[in-house]
Parts: sequence; structure tokens; C-alpha cells
Amino acid sequence: MEIPDVAASKEAEASIDLLAIVLDTNPSQQIVRQNPQNLTQILEAVIAFGNAHLMQKAQNKLAVLSCSHYTTEFLFPLPGRHVELRQIDGQYEAFSLVEKTVKQQLGSILMNAPRLSAPCESLLAGSMSMALCYISRLQRNVPAGVKMHSRILVLTGSNECASQYMTYMNVFFTAQKLGIVVDTCALDKTLSLLQQGCDITNGQFLKVNQLDGLLQYLLWVFLPSPQMRHKLVLPPTPKVDYRASCFCHRELIDIGYVCSVCLSVFCKYSPICTTCHTIFKTPGPLPVKPKKKKKTDKQI
Amino acid sequence: MVNVMKGVLVECDPAMKQFLLHLDEKLALGRKFIIQDLDESHLFISTDIVEVLQARVDELMDRISFPLHEKDP
Amino acid sequence: MADTKSGRFASSSAAISPLVQSPENLECKNFQEYLRTRQTPETLEKLYNYPPICLAVYRELPEIARQFVIRILFVDQPVPQAVVTSWGAQRVAKEQMEATSCLTALCVWRVTAIPGGLAAWELSPTFKKSVRQVLLGGGKPWAMTNTLDKDSKPRDITFLDSYAMSRWRCVLHYMVGTGGRNGGTDAEAISPDAVRILLHANLMKRDERDGITITRQGFQFLLLDTRAQVWHFMLQYLETCEERGISLPECLSMLFQLSFSTLGRDYSSEGMNSQMLTFLQHLREFGLVFQRKRKEGRFYPTRLALNVTNKDAAQASTTADEERMQERGYIVVETNYRVYAYTDSQLQVAVLGLFTELLYRFPNLVVGVLTRDSVRQALRGGITAEQIVSYLEQYAHPNMKLVESAIQSKSCLPPTVVDQIKLWELERNRFTYTEGVVYNQFLSQNDFVTLRDYAQSINMLVWQNERTRTMVVQKNGHDDVKRYWKKYSKSGG
Repeated sequence: MEIPDVAASKEAEASIDLLAIVLDTNPSQQIVRQNPQNLTQILEAVIAFGNAHLMQKAQNKLAVLSCSHYTTEFLFPLPGRHVELRQIDGQYEAFSLVEKTVKQQLGSILMNAPRLSAPCESLLAGSMSMALCYISRLQRNVPAGVKMHSRILVLTGSNECASQYMTYMNVFFTAQKLGIVVDTCALDKTLSLLQQGCDITNGQFLKVNQLDGLLQYLLWVFLPSPQMRHKLVLPPTPKVDYRASCFCHRELIDIGYVCSVCLSVFCKYSPICTTCHTIFKTPGPLPVKPKKKKKTDKQI
Repeated sequence: MVNVMKGVLVECDPAMKQFLLHLDEKLALGRKFIIQDLDESHLFISTDIVEVLQARVDELMDRISFPLHEKDP
Repeated sequence: MADTKSGRFASSSAAISPLVQSPENLECKNFQEYLRTRQTPETLEKLYNYPPICLAVYRELPEIARQFVIRILFVDQPVPQAVVTSWGAQRVAKEQMEATSCLTALCVWRVTAIPGGLAAWELSPTFKKSVRQVLLGGGKPWAMTNTLDKDSKPRDITFLDSYAMSRWRCVLHYMVGTGGRNGGTDAEAISPDAVRILLHANLMKRDERDGITITRQGFQFLLLDTRAQVWHFMLQYLETCEERGISLPECLSMLFQLSFSTLGRDYSSEGMNSQMLTFLQHLREFGLVFQRKRKEGRFYPTRLALNVTNKDAAQASTTADEERMQERGYIVVETNYRVYAYTDSQLQVAVLGLFTELLYRFPNLVVGVLTRDSVRQALRGGITAEQIVSYLEQYAHPNMKLVESAIQSKSCLPPTVVDQIKLWELERNRFTYTEGVVYNQFLSQNDFVTLRDYAQSINMLVWQNERTRTMVVQKNGHDDVKRYWKKYSKSGG
């Protein structure tokens, strides 16, 4: 299968790769509360990784979004602001632009963030939706004849937020339909919902145990574009926990009740479906079937 | 003793080869030029005839081609 | 009924008589090939001192090679070869081998030994340092990026585009002869430097009678797309720059700095030495940079200079709006072999006339038809079918790309027309000639086998048939074989 490979790789070289990084900057993340310096370290690694992605091909594109507990903001690109940037050292000016814009913007977001009294969860699903919108906008503006492959990388130290279950599912199915790959790098716990998303969109899920090697992990696992990942040896996909979570308590359940109209999942029976307001008849006691007398009794 | 002859090896498809054999037989180029018939797609011919041969083949191709597009009168 | 033992042994150095020799065709090297064939390891090391060149080299590497390099970029010790091999999946072993050999040939990495005796790869330190600088920072800023005062009369992208194309077209017009040489209306003559490069590149030749005329390769050059033309031209320039006293590494570095610059932005030429300023003036003449006055301290790179080695990047970076401003496609090819070109440019009409038969000429439209004769004429002139097809594709009218069939397939031209052009080319290649000597009528099978094996061992065997004991040897191998045969028969073999 020589010739198709050559043609495929030539096409891959000509296409645009768009990487949208969703960075969890919520100060209530465990790793940030432990040591605020960690956030700086993560940021440096993400910037270097984003620049490494831009370095691969001149036509690659990058977007960075910051996700916190109250809002999602774009860190890069910021079209309204033209930063007049001249090189101050040997760094390529496009990369310097990324670094400076991201740092400036994140600084202003953190400064203006409302004070937190208690730990709040990050709005990751919402950020991913914003990333999807950005990707599809860019997809529409691509010149004729040019192919664009997109992917989203979610970098988070938060725990699982079952309350965002619906949004997550919508995001994953949309990404799957649009052919967008979702990768996840978890810095703290194994996130089963995001794992599911990576699984159905053919992305990679990685749990990083130590922050020191974060950049190297990112470069090894997430830098190759999805089209060429089959050419490299990457961490195998672990077994994914596909349990649904119930709509009433957001708990993961194995057995439950499913509304026959809208397919929402409940752990306990309730007479009205909270999503579509269908009324269910109360199930009476299950009719007891008369035990069939064994034929042998009648034998003589 | 081994027989040694100088010339040109021609590789072509079997149909063209038959055409060359035909030219040779009919002495269309003025004389016989095939030194040896090697196999179905190879012939060994004399060196000096190559130019004339190419011209003849071009002529044949011109004759059997028909214009794909009719020019306006 | 081909005998299984007979067959033709292809050899790489076939001696072909002058009359059947295929004439030289235009060879366009990409940057990688240029480095591999033209530069020695020492010069490559010198080149890698310049970060822009390293960035350009990195982007030219095959995909797998790029991944390998970035993985070991931040590793300080050499990495065992076995480890690197394990990074690639089994099924792409061949591609992986190509990638590793490419990296070795470009001296990006080299083999060292680590304690324990295993062979290991380590990145060339200069390359590593330069790439780290480009990616993360540190080191000196590139030459062109000194801070400038704001330009009182800034130039926008539309102006730069039109300037670049008009300058570049001057060169092309000169080649076709529709320029100043024949007293054309709007063309300007080009400088002797540019003419010297055209002559060196064999795109034009000096004839006693006609002066300077275009060559076969020149015709092929005209059919390339603008980007490929600029790159090929710059490569030729680089080859002559040592003669002019300009240092090659500095030239390359400057060229790539321009290649990576931002369109629409001005850069400073302060602090450049006189060699580089001369180079800048040449680039200004060819349309790669714009400078209002020679002495002015600032210049604007144009679209021609950006991504000079990489056509895909340029295509991908133009948005729908920008495409309108640039050179639009203007050729429509129909399934009845008719070609409609919405242009009034002398140059474009001349190029079209190379392979089509022009029928009508209107103020804004030229109508031609692709006939067997017109295409054959082009083929005789050295233009290949592939070049014709890619020229038509490249300048295809935007409406052609909107047709339903075009969206599905890769090319927007009618497949019948494309196939027919290729068939017309194949028609000319029904024969392949090889001058040689035939040996037959061997007295014994042994004699035949011995001689045949000898001829094959010196790579001179062209065809053989064991059954009829006939073999054909290349013309320039005949003497060797004859000598061997004499020796062999004397020894009573």
C-alpha cells in the first residue's frame, strides 16, 4: 500500500492543523491551591507547546482559551488588539506574539476575577463549546481546495463535574459529527466523562502525575496531528467507564430508569420525567404469573 | 565463435512490434533493418535507421489520429 | 509468449546515442534537496548557526522526522537508536527509515556512542541551540527587527501585492520577449544582474545571431506557478552569490528571515552590511521586497518573499478576501477541449500559445483549443504533460472550482481532457531505444551463462534470453565484455 500512503502524507503536509487549547485557570483547582506557582509552570508549558505546534507547519493555527469558574475568555488570538511587537531576542516574532498576548491577557483576567469564597467548579463544557464555535467559524472561511483538520486539547486539574453532563455529551457528539478530535490532559484525577469524549472522537487521554515533565508529555503525546498518530507508538487507550449519570443526582449508575420519550436516565422512579414532562403510570405490583404445573404431576 | 552485432535495442508494445516487422518486410524504409527479433516486445535493429523509423512512426500516428475537436469553418 | 528466463535488465547508466538522447529538462529542487546535494557537512554546520535557517530546515523535514526532533530537543543526553526506532509504529518502518536517513543527510543529528557501547543519536549542538532559541527565546534578535518609527506613508497589502507582481512580471516578460527588448509599451528592461542569473540558470542562452533567447528549460520555467518560479530563481541566485562576494549563509539567513516575516509590516535595514544591502536591492528588483528609496532605512516584504519554500502555506494563508486581490485564475477548460482565458496580458497569452491553438482574440478574452498538434508541439519543445495540466489547474478560473465534480475530485479540470493530454505524451514514447551490442550463437550453455553473469555484474546487461542464448549489452560495455570473453576463451573455459 505504497502509493496511497505517499499521496495521503502529501495531502497531510498541505492541510492546515488547527489546535484549540482549553486551559483550566480556575484558582480553586487542587494543584493551584497547593502551590500557586504551579499555574505559572503549566502556563509556560502550554505556551511552549502551542508554539511547537505553530512551528510544525507555516499554515498551522493556534487558539488558546482560558476557562475559569465564572467565564471563558480567549487568550489568543485577540483580533481587536494589534500588538506591535519587535523581537527582543532570538525568538521568532510569531511565537513571541503568542507568548506575550497569552500572558498579558491571562494576567488581566486573573486580576479582574471576582473573589472566591469557596471552591467553585470550572466551566469546562462551556469552554469546549466556545472552542467548537471558533473552529467552525474558521472552517467556513477556509479558501476553496484547502483542507483543515482541527482538534481541541483540554488541560485541567479539576475534578469531574457531573452537573455539566448534558453539556459535555452535546459537545462530544457535536465534535464527533464535525470530525474534531478532543484530547485531554488531566493533571489531577482521572476524569471519566472527558475520557469518554476522547474515546468517541478518537482523541488521546493522558493523566500526568508530575508537573515537572509536563511539556515533554505534551510534546510526546499531543503534538502529532491525529492523521499521523497511527504512525507513532502512543499510550494505549485505557478501558473507558461508559456509565451514564442520572439526571436527578448526577451520580454514575449501572442500572436505572429510562424515560421512553426523551431517553433521560434516572436512578429512582419518579411519576413525571423532569426533562420532557411525560407522565408515567405508576407501576402496580408486578402480576404474579401462575406457576405452570409440571406435567409430570399428572402422570400416573 | 560468438556472433556479435552492433545496433540498437528497441523496446515497445507487441502491436508496435508487428508494425515494425511489417515495415521491414515491405522494405518500406528502403532496406531491411531488423537484425534480430528478440522477443515479443524487443527488437534489435540497425543504428542508422532510427531517425527515419521515428519519422515513419510519427507519420503512422498522425494517420490514425482523428481530430477530437472540429474547428469552426 | 515471453520466456520466463528472458527479460530486460534495466540499468541506471544507459548509454544513449545523441539522436535518441532525451534533452535536459528543468530540474526544480526543493530546499531539502538543495541542502543535501549542494552543501557539505561543514557548510551545513555553519548554516545552522543562523536560527532562521534552522527553522526553515525544521519545517522542510518529513513529518516523522519533525516529531523525533522535537522529542529530543529538550533532552540533553544522546538517545539510543533502539529507543528512537521504537517510537515509530511497525507498519511505517519504511517511512521511518527515510526520515532517519534524511536527518542524517542534513546533519541535523549524528551518531555517537553512549557508555555501554550502544549507538545513539544526538542532535547537532548548533542546530539544537538555534531551534531552542527560535522556540523559547534567548539569543540575539534577527537583523531586520530593530524598532522603527512609524512610517509616515505606510503601504498596505494590496499595494504590495500589485508591486510584487508587476516587478516579477518584468522578468517573465523579458524572457518571453514581450518586454522592453522588442520595444514593448509598458515593460521595463531588467538589470544585467537578473540577466546574468537567467543565463546561469540556463533559462536563456546567448546566441550569436539572435542575442539572448529563451531555452527549452525557460519554457518549462514559464509554466511553473509563481511561487515555484521565485524559489527556483532564488536558488540560482544563491548559486552565483559566492561569485559576487556575498556570503551564502548570510544570504540564506536573510532570505528566510523574509520568508518568516509578517505581511504588511515594515522592517528595518539598519545595521546591515553592504553585502546584505546589495542583496536587498536585488530582492527589490525581483519584487520580493518593497522599498521606497534606496537609502531608506525601512522595507516591506511582499507576498512573494513569504513562505518562499512552501507553496501550501501560501495557499492556505490567503483568506477569501485576499484571494480576490491576488492574481485570480482566469482559464476555463471545457470538456470539448476549448480553452477560454479571460486575460489581456501579453505574457499569459504567449504562454497559452505554447500548447494551445489560439482561435480568437477579444479585448478581455482569448479562445483557444487543445489539439493534438498543439500539444505535440509543446511536447517537442520539452514541456511535459504534467506541466501543462498543472499550469491549467493553477490558473483555473474560480468558477471551475465551484463545479460539483471539482469539489469531489482533487482537480477541477475535466478528466477526459487531462487523460488525453497524458495520452498524447505517451504516444511519443511508444519506443525506447538503447544502443547496444547483441551476442548470440553461443556454442555452449555454459559460455552463455558465464558471459551473461559477467555483463550483469558490471551493470551492462540490457536484455537476455537463456533459451535462445542471446544477450544484449550496452554499447559502452562492449569493450569490457569483449576483453573478458577473450580472457575466458583463452583459459579454455
